[in-house]
Amino acid sequence: MELLLQTLINGILAAGLYALVASGLALAVGVVGIVNFAHGEFSMIGAFVSYLLFVGAGIDPILSLGLAAVVLFVVGALTYYGLIRPVLAAPELNQMLLTFGLSVALQNLALLLFGADTRVLFTPYQGATLALGGVSFGLPPFAAFVLSVGLLVGLYAFLGRTRLGFAVRAVAQNRLAPGLLGIETQRIYLLAFGLSAALAGMAGVMLSVMLYTSPTVGFAYTLKAFAIIVMAGLGNLRGVIPAAIVLALAEALVSTYVPGGGGWVEAVFFLVIFLALTWRSWRTR
Amino acid sequence: MKLTVDQLTAGYGKAQVLFGLTLEVAEGELVALLGANGAGKTTALRVLSGLIKPWGGQVALDGQSLLGLSAARRARLGLGHVPEGRQLFPLMSVEENLLLGAAFLAWESRAEGLERVYRLFPRLAERRRQLAGTLSGGEQQMLAIGRALMGRPRILMVDEPSLGLSPRLAEEVLATLAQVRAEGVGVLLVEQNVALSLEVADRGYVVEHGRVVLQGQAKELIQNQAVQKAYLAL
Repeated sequence: MELLLQTLINGILAAGLYALVASGLALAVGVVGIVNFAHGEFSMIGAFVSYLLFVGAGIDPILSLGLAAVVLFVVGALTYYGLIRPVLAAPELNQMLLTFGLSVALQNLALLLFGADTRVLFTPYQGATLALGGVSFGLPPFAAFVLSVGLLVGLYAFLGRTRLGFAVRAVAQNRLAPGLLGIETQRIYLLAFGLSAALAGMAGVMLSVMLYTSPTVGFAYTLKAFAIIVMAGLGNLRGVIPAAIVLALAEALVSTYVPGGGGWVEAVFFLVIFLALTWRSWRTR
Repeated sequence: MKLTVDQLTAGYGKAQVLFGLTLEVAEGELVALLGANGAGKTTALRVLSGLIKPWGGQVALDGQSLLGLSAARRARLGLGHVPEGRQLFPLMSVEENLLLGAAFLAWESRAEGLERVYRLFPRLAERRRQLAGTLSGGEQQMLAIGRALMGRPRILMVDEPSLGLSPRLAEEVLATLAQVRAEGVGVLLVEQNVALSLEVADRGYVVEHGRVVLQGQAKELIQNQAVQKAYLAL
């Protein structure tokens, strides 16, 4: 019973970060209409920002969070301007090849600059644990969960309660009309893509503490984020949180109860995509 | 305010659609743009509102060229466009759709705009909380027109408002456009229903193969033999 509880809590804690990464991807897919395979690489850049600031200037990752958001917003905006905008009207396959190429290029650029080592941050709170009843969990995953939830609340408030967020939702529902109503659609795309990258980047900062920093750290999160948004329905931001919880719980349960489960965890996202698509095709029949 | 279009040429890829279209619409008049399918009417509106780039010619609002301005800039200058297919935000309520039409205006002026639209289309007021995607075709058309009016256009271009509507509803929608004209807005109406649009219009242009072949007062056009033969089946 205690093991189950512990497993569930681990799953829920992981779900926060998953939802954060996937919400960013959902913005890119739902608002800009671009399937961004380089989304996880934005997290990787965020992780390196955190790592370098910590090692180079002793800045705590919690403080790096804001800076990484700004850096990644700019990276996202430049990516949109230089790479995405020219292919917005191109066939989807071309767009996907472009973002896949960007993913490979960014990974290799990081490899070139920093090497393939996995780098671990040693913060004072690294090993701290919290105990609650019979279960205990690390402070970093708990903090990442709380921060992720906070950021998601902020994102939802922006989309739901501000005028700009209103325009962002409008563009997600119809690409033609907003321009005719005086809304500069290009700016909304730019904002949404920058925001998407900033969310991924902040998730990357958390990864640098909870996991490690390496050129390939983000790629697994691209795949997990895809599993989540496929489950939620492409571009459906509201479904992202429950879908993130499902994926994270599934991973936690597999890791605890399947013999040799640790090795299978990284395949759970694939099973989830498979089941979601199968279920959807049955339901709409 | 006056919209002037001079010798406009445009097309898609290599296929030319507009071959020197010339027309003008002033505030307070309802002008019908008539012609068969494929004559270039919708393309003309798309060029005017900035959705596609023209190959040549001039589009100006009060003498100021609109070429090179984004669609959003043109809307802000007072050129409204109710596009083909309505293009509503299906998962937003009627009222949210309307508010987005006033997205660039001072947020405070929205109440006034809502009041005006609800006065023109009382049916929309009844359904203000309903999702736009669940409205009937006629209501969706009213919403599309109402949403464009929220931006306070001086010239409003409307593409095929009667498409898919019952004759009675089509008449109702066109009568509302006549009312919008009476409030001082210039209306450029693209219609395939020639008889109905000439009934409400002040003037009309007949377009064939991307250029104006006939123009005049609506009353004269109704009497014109060529128009009667080609479009009114008399």
